[in-house]
Amino acid sequence: MRVFSSTCTFDYSWEEVSAANWRKYCPWNDKSTHVVAVDTLSRVVDAETGILRTERLITCNQSVPQWVLSLFGGSPTSHVYEVSYVDPSSKKVTMCSTNLTWSNVLNVRETVVYQPSLSNPPSTTDFNQEAKITALCGGWQKIKNKVEEASVERFSQNAKKGREGFEAVLEMSRRVFSEQRDIDSNRLQS
Amino acid sequence: MSASIAPECNDIKEKYDTCFLKWYSEKYLRGNTTSNECEELFTKYKACLNLALKEKGIDSMLDDARKSMKDSEAGKS
Repeated sequence: MRVFSSTCTFDYSWEEVSAANWRKYCPWNDKSTHVVAVDTLSRVVDAETGILRTERLITCNQSVPQWVLSLFGGSPTSHVYEVSYVDPSSKKVTMCSTNLTWSNVLNVRETVVYQPSLSNPPSTTDFNQEAKITALCGGWQKIKNKVEEASVERFSQNAKKGREGFEAVLEMSRRVFSEQRDIDSNRLQS
Repeated sequence: MSASIAPECNDIKEKYDTCFLKWYSEKYLRGNTTSNECEELFTKYKACLNLALKEKGIDSMLDDARKSMKDSEAGKS
């Protein structure tokens, strides 16, 4: 098993980040082009705690190294299952995801947490990401190592792109929101 | 908004996503967690999506993932 982790801080409030997170993979994000579809499977608010639980299916299309395809076959389209929890009272978003495709070869489990940053909670948000990557193919340790290495490598490339793309989404969200606010207040005035 | 895995569901998904995001920012984050004005759109979107998931055989993959996710959540405690 290999662990990939990364952290960063976004200069946006937790409210902005948690809202923009729902459209992280929209056309404003021109970096994470490997994500081709995001579908919501279920969504429910717990009446007691107010926690919002969402299940999503994320579909990716990306070039897989040729040696992986020739070893395991399959298509470049892959699916990820994600369960997320938003706790509005403690201001915490937790997202857990796992791969649906190639699950007999590789197990990837990712946990992402968004929380107000301790240093400046009203206007900055911390992002913590951890992925555990385990190759499952029986026997050959050498191949397992190679599969895990390649997966970690790809994971870290995508994580970097994801961060850059999300910055663009956050910026656009803030701009659109303030324009909308101007339109609304003009309407009220006239 | 992002696309649906099933192009035929894109229109209804777009409507639902827009409704949800508005509800999330304007109601949910402001403490009104009980309203459910997007439910009707979600029901329609899910009906479209579930057909496609069945056709592509993704529904059974999801069942397996749900099971193993539950196992690992249970294992944590």
